Amino acid sequence: MELAGQTPDIISARDMGIVACTRCTRVWPLGTDACGRCGKRLVSRDDKSLQRVWALWVVGLMCYIPANLYPMLQTRTLLRVQEDTIVGGAIELLHHDAVGVALIILIASVVIPISKFLAVGFLAISVTRPSTVSNHQRQMLYEVVEYIGRWSMIDIFVVAIMSSLVQLNTLAAVNPGIASLFFALSVIFTMLSAQAFDSRMIWDAQALDQGPGPHE
Amino acid sequence: MSDTPPPVRIESVRKTLMQRFSIVWVIPFLALAAALIVAWQTYSERGPLIEIEFKNGAQIAKRETELRYRDVTVGVVEDVKFANDLSAVIASVRVDKEVATYIDALSTFWVVRPELTTRGVSGLDTVLSGVYIEGSWDSEIGPKQTRFSGLSDAPLFNSGREGLQIALKTTPGGSLTDNSPITFRGIEVGRVGKAQISKQGNFAIAEAIIFEPHTNLISPTTRFWETSGFTFSVGPSGAEIDFSSLATLVSGGLTFDTFVSGGGPVVDGTVFDVYTNEASARNNLFNASDVATLDVRVVFEGNIAGLAVGAPVELSGLKIGQVESLSGIINAEAFGDSRVRLNTLLSIQPARLGLTDEVTPEAALEFLSMRVEEGLRARLASTSLLTRGLKIELVQVDGAPRTILQTGANDIPILPTTKSEIADATATVEGVVGRINNLPIEELLNSAIEFLDSAEAFVSNEDLRETPKDVRTLLAEVREVVASEDVKNIPKALNSAISRFETLLAQFEKEELASRLMAAVDAASQAASDVSVSVEGVPALVSEIEAVAAKANSLPLEELAEQLTALTATADDILGTEAAKKLPADLSAALKEINATLAELREGGTVTNVNEALSSARKAADALATSTEELPALVKRTSAVLDRASATIAGYDQGEVLSRDARAALRDISKAADAMAALARMLERNPSALLRGR
Repeated sequence: MELAGQTPDIISARDMGIVACTRCTRVWPLGTDACGRCGKRLVSRDDKSLQRVWALWVVGLMCYIPANLYPMLQTRTLLRVQEDTIVGGAIELLHHDAVGVALIILIASVVIPISKFLAVGFLAISVTRPSTVSNHQRQMLYEVVEYIGRWSMIDIFVVAIMSSLVQLNTLAAVNPGIASLFFALSVIFTMLSAQAFDSRMIWDAQALDQGPGPHE
Repeated sequence: MSDTPPPVRIESVRKTLMQRFSIVWVIPFLALAAALIVAWQTYSERGPLIEIEFKNGAQIAKRETELRYRDVTVGVVEDVKFANDLSAVIASVRVDKEVATYIDALSTFWVVRPELTTRGVSGLDTVLSGVYIEGSWDSEIGPKQTRFSGLSDAPLFNSGREGLQIALKTTPGGSLTDNSPITFRGIEVGRVGKAQISKQGNFAIAEAIIFEPHTNLISPTTRFWETSGFTFSVGPSGAEIDFSSLATLVSGGLTFDTFVSGGGPVVDGTVFDVYTNEASARNNLFNASDVATLDVRVVFEGNIAGLAVGAPVELSGLKIGQVESLSGIINAEAFGDSRVRLNTLLSIQPARLGLTDEVTPEAALEFLSMRVEEGLRARLASTSLLTRGLKIELVQVDGAPRTILQTGANDIPILPTTKSEIADATATVEGVVGRINNLPIEELLNSAIEFLDSAEAFVSNEDLRETPKDVRTLLAEVREVVASEDVKNIPKALNSAISRFETLLAQFEKEELASRLMAAVDAASQAASDVSVSVEGVPALVSEIEAVAAKANSLPLEELAEQLTALTATADDILGTEAAKKLPADLSAALKEINATLAELREGGTVTNVNEALSSARKAADALATSTEELPALVKRTSAVLDRASATIAGYDQGEVLSRDARAALRDISKAADAMAALARMLERNPSALLRGR
């Protein structure tokens, strides 16, 4: 990472004929079957990584659709039952002038997941074809996606905590809606999708970008 | 560090499908498959959308308002929108598939709202949860329908309340309260639904339901009656107030009873009559018949105040029907003039006529027309002496002009009428009381007192007292006569006559015996007859004396008193008559004046004259009272008396004023006498008028 800004040309481990263990980071010569230290199978480039990314990405996206259509939270008070979807709940909060909370919900539940889909999708596409975005930026994007992905779960936490705290029998009760399950699945699958992405491929793409090879 | 990597494997060029594709693709495919299966399942299980039209969309909310069947949610409102012309609200309801097939053309829908009625609160749960749509349909699958119009109120018959469905019809004069409970021994066992008025407007009919466990209480002989409100009646057993419960007092209600056992089960749709009270329901039971009634018209002339709808129609005292309706009728063609007559519609129950063969309205009509030819007529009669209620009686009038029952093809037959028999007891009693009230009791008493005074004066009269004395002297004289020497000497004379006769006989014996004897005998018989004549005179005298005593005895004092009273009463009656009204106040004024005059006169010392006049007047009054036939003579005599009185008073010349007053009084009296003459004439014409006071 420190090198990102200094030298445009990065020599990948593969180019150097070595392979790093993804678990214990021990470097082995290329072609080594398994890590001699931790026993993990050594693969220089996971050729099925993109497939996994896409597969999980699709599942995540599929889950994200019902997560937005179905109610996230079922608020039952004495007189009525209110069911709110994610966006509907945020709008409701806006109407109650709770702009801050509404923004947090919107960002955590809408902006972050969507940008994650976009980011992972972009990364997955960008490693297979030339891109205008630099490798460092892509690496950075990947890091951010990896880091921030878990915060999407904040909505699920809110629902879980509310559901467990507000159970006043007939007076009022908060129950998780069906969307919370899908939303959680969506977040999980996008996280898995992001994890499945072999970031080393970013650097292979550099070779594609720069045509003949890094050694010129 | 000393580790040596394992030897590099040579990978084969050909890769299997499994190697080329990651196993992870299974997950999205599974997810996709699951999603598709769920979607398909949802779609296939999704019921049809039905549209229910409501007048207003009271609180029906999208995705919240439920459709319930037997209080189980079977659908939810998906959309609420207006009809094209904004005339109604259409709720689109997604119905569960399993019940959707049962929703057919016969289904009904209504909105359940909280309701507060006199009998309690219903739909309270909807206060919190919001309204819901209740649906009702049967268990048979009928032709499919997707568009319904919702009811404004919950229907009486719905799938939540099974029971016997009957209809209740009012009897004439009765009423129905819709949505009221039907109670039995105080327990609500059924309910009356919305009532409707028949097209003709002569009865109301309402559907009703008897809930399931109680349906066996109903049999064809069951009678329903109203318990709404309370009844208050005064009868021979005293006053009665009756109401069954406060709830029915407020909201009305019906109850029923089966007075006689028997009768099969009742099927849905049976129509029962609702009676106004238990008594009429009970009465009806024993006369009830399933035969349709025969409608007959009767046209009465004149006043029929007191005839009411429901009044009985009686034949020989047996109620055979009742008055169904009353209205006026003008039919110049049929009746000859354009007067308003009373058109009475009677409904006659053929079963009560006692027809032997078939009991039908036609047979009853035939029977009636036959009887009408024989003289059967309808008339109005009083139901009781005290009330002014009227009933219609069918009576046989002998010698009635021959008529036939007027029947037409589409016309209600008209029964001929006869003179009504209305005993207006009220009027009679009122008249009697009025007349008693008008009786001049005080005046009569005054007159009686005056009369008694006069009588006392009369009895204490010296002349009257001397009558027995005279009689006694008369008797003494008679005795004197009897004891007189002459009478006593009669036997002596006889003796001497006989002795002379003997000597004569002796002489005859001596000389010409026979002829002398004959002459002697003749003379003796002559003498004897003379004696008998003289003796016969005595009894005649006695009888004359007796007659005198009897006359004295039979002075009609008591009669005079009675007759004077009667006279006074009659005079008062006269004052009450039309004729007397012509001379109302001045007569009494005259009487007062004459009293004053008489008092003055008495003071003046002319008592005897006036007394004489008055006694003459009294005698005249006696004569008036003893015989109304002699009234004209009486009048003459009265006027003679008055003339004499006036002469007496005229003779009493004591100042002009008094004389004038007296004359005026006498004029008034003569006026009264004239009125009395008029009365007398009237009485002659119509003696019973005295009794009836007119």
